[in-house]
Amino acid sequence: MLIYENKKAKLLNILKIGINPFKKFVATGEIKEELGFVSSRKDLMESISSIIRSNENFILPIIGDVGSGKTHLFWNLKNKLLFHNTFYISLENYRKFYYSLYSEYIEELRVEFLRSIANKLCNEWGALERKFGFFHVADINKVRITAFEKISKGFEDKIALNDIINAITAHQLDPYKKLEAENWLLGELMDFRDLAHLNLLYDLRKKSYAFTMLKIIIENSKKGSVLFIDDFEKIISLMKPEEGSEEIFDPSYFYGSEGSSLDNIAAQKILEKILNLQKIRSIKIIITLNSIDSLEEIQRNIQEKEKKLLLTFKKPLILSNFTEDDIFEFYRKNMKHFLKSVNYLKFTEENTESYFPLNENILRNIYKKANGNPRQILKLLIKIFNEIIYSDDTLENIIQSYEK
Amino acid sequence: MNDKNIVLFDYIKNSRVKGEFSGSIISKFKEYVNYIIFSDNIKISDDNEVQISQGLMVGFERGVKKHLAFSKKDDFIWNNIDDCPLEYSVLIPDEIMEQYDEGQFSDAFPYTITMLHTAGLYQKDPDGFSVDHLEFFQGEILKNPVGLISRGICVADRVVIDHRGDPVFYDSIIVGRNEKDDLSVSYEPLVNVKMDDDILRFIIILGIENLKE
Repeated sequence: MLIYENKKAKLLNILKIGINPFKKFVATGEIKEELGFVSSRKDLMESISSIIRSNENFILPIIGDVGSGKTHLFWNLKNKLLFHNTFYISLENYRKFYYSLYSEYIEELRVEFLRSIANKLCNEWGALERKFGFFHVADINKVRITAFEKISKGFEDKIALNDIINAITAHQLDPYKKLEAENWLLGELMDFRDLAHLNLLYDLRKKSYAFTMLKIIIENSKKGSVLFIDDFEKIISLMKPEEGSEEIFDPSYFYGSEGSSLDNIAAQKILEKILNLQKIRSIKIIITLNSIDSLEEIQRNIQEKEKKLLLTFKKPLILSNFTEDDIFEFYRKNMKHFLKSVNYLKFTEENTESYFPLNENILRNIYKKANGNPRQILKLLIKIFNEIIYSDDTLENIIQSYEK
Repeated sequence: MNDKNIVLFDYIKNSRVKGEFSGSIISKFKEYVNYIIFSDNIKISDDNEVQISQGLMVGFERGVKKHLAFSKKDDFIWNNIDDCPLEYSVLIPDEIMEQYDEGQFSDAFPYTITMLHTAGLYQKDPDGFSVDHLEFFQGEILKNPVGLISRGICVADRVVIDHRGDPVFYDSIIVGRNEKDDLSVSYEPLVNVKMDDDILRFIIILGIENLKE
């Protein structure tokens, strides 16, 4: 029978296995973040949610220092906005922007979503017309004509729209082309023979096709769509060639003069494509930037192109660093999450006020040293815990060294 | 439209609702012929005239040595509803039709057999001219079946003949009488008919030629 258990020693033993409760200090759009926001940021979350709920189309800038938790904000929004599909967009890979964006949608929402949209659209286009009051004998050509008449007004590229209608109706009404049509709708790359079988010109890699398809699925989705474009400054850095960078050849020879490089052109195009998304009803865009200066620079650039697009920009929201109280809450939440993962939640239940193996003084020191920046705080916590885990020194000595 | 108005005409209960109706309407002939008319309209005028414009009549007709299934599109007019061969006309409620529509599109069956011409899959006839192709179509999916099961009509999206040779109707609308002879309409995603129960009167597979025109 176990009469007494030294729980602190047991926790230390668990840590000594080599598991650091603070693992990564950079959030990414791919790996899900479970932990919610600290209390001081809840007002910001509420403001963002309220803007999303009460507006149809907008671009909302979020300004925050490097490491202040802008990417972590994405995961909080994704977990909170249950009636929206929230997507993380990185400008690192900006080639074939609309196609990549469409692929993100399909990867996230799965084929069932696509099938249900195709089904809904075909029903709206008259596929369920009943002969003699009962029998569905869908005339595929009639459905296509109805579809085109009904929706073509809102689309610029009529050829793309026509092909998309053909693919959607083939998917729903032509059992012998269903499989190929589904592959096409999923964005798979197709050769000429496959396209000819479906009577289509291009697959969704074609810019206008991907954009038209995005417009159709977003506008017909029951949930709203939020695009979270992280590190929007990337646009500016691409527009400005790095000073002192060595050019192998003079790009102006090919691309014209005055700062027009390959990257510059690409950046201009990507900016145009993002702004063009505003033509899709009920798309909400959140962009994150490191400074207000960057935002102003982007806005100046947009103003030169189309002034009225600036109206879609909301007043920027600021993501501040942690307050001193936040670090305690943050530490507790992380430790609780860690203890849950190692099935030792009993420790927190019996040590509710404890910051073991650290203490209040150390956390305060960390806060000061990091100036409240969450990423710096995490880096310091990882460092201390690594020392606790791997050092042969006693816990007391380690704690003492960090309390100074 | 309230529930009472679902039954537009019932010869046995001596009820009728006068007026023009549109939607999904099933009219059944009296027992001696058992024809069924599917239509999207019916008019029962004040002077008891019945008109169905461009309805689809389905049933078995007597051939030289056998009974043949048929379906034909026509206008039907009877001067006096009391003398007409109709037993009842029922307007299927919208909510049931919505379920029926959803069932049709809920899945894709690329290997469903759609007949070009209307054909009899099964008929149990007291004259001895029975039709039974159930074994031939065992395991196959047949589109647009119409069945007469005991006293009920079963219109389904598809029928599958299972490994025991029993027909299973999918996505079905059932019109039938209860023990008090009241007519009722229901939607059943699946109707399994056991041949051993001896309740199946006929199954007709509607051909696409009449439906496409």
